[in-house]
Amino acid sequence: MKIKIAPSTKTGAHHWLMQRISAIALLPLIIWFVLSFVQIAEDPQGYLPVFFAYPLNAVLGILMITTSLYHGSLGMRVVIEDYIPNKTKMHFYIMLVNFTSIVTSVAAVIAIIRLHLIG
Amino acid sequence: MANKKSASGFKSQRPTSPHLQIYRWNVSSFTSILHRLTGVALFFSILALSWYITYYTYQINVADTSESCDCPLNQLINYAFFAAGTFITFALYYHFCNGIRHLFWDLGKGFEKSTTRATGLTAIALAIIFTALTIGAVVYFKMS
Repeated sequence: MKIKIAPSTKTGAHHWLMQRISAIALLPLIIWFVLSFVQIAEDPQGYLPVFFAYPLNAVLGILMITTSLYHGSLGMRVVIEDYIPNKTKMHFYIMLVNFTSIVTSVAAVIAIIRLHLIG
Repeated sequence: MANKKSASGFKSQRPTSPHLQIYRWNVSSFTSILHRLTGVALFFSILALSWYITYYTYQINVADTSESCDCPLNQLINYAFFAAGTFITFALYYHFCNGIRHLFWDLGKGFEKSTTRATGLTAIALAIIFTALTIGAVVYFKMS
């Protein structure tokens, strides 16, 4: 009896390590994000341009969104690999997550730069 | 389930292992499941937050003219957003605290049964306390 096993994509070790590194990078960024969130939550529409006018907030905001989307796409990849047995569907959803993360981070970075410049 | 094709397209006649609902709940399994659940929730939240920032960046002048009223539907939407926001805040704090636990495990520390139980309960408690503090601060700033 021969048991078929899906071939490894050989990226697991690298992804595992990058998941941890991005997690460590996110620790200070999340503390900054929560403190900022409490300040902005009162009136997000009014405060967002003022908030991102400060260079530190713009830089940390871009870093927070890109790093968490990277960390999140690696995490979603693991979840998809665990729960979707069909290999074709699995690769489709992994690509969908990666594509969505990249598009979203590019859009958010451009938005933050624009807010920074006009704010 | 016995005749269902398995992942590799191989017809499995072997018995399947018992599923999630058969086990008794304990701290380690609960924290693990909650870590994954909050992680997925946070992924969608950061997507929503990014698109929110993107949307309002190009709507700054329109927002000034938008009208708001105290009609029932608007209130309901506000409550829904408040509930979702509370859950996402909890998810963020929980994933943060439990993530630190995971990082310590990756260093090979804190694997004793009593330690994992204590740190797991601490993570849940800290997440609840921080959520209450954050929501309290937001509500306080909104009132004042």
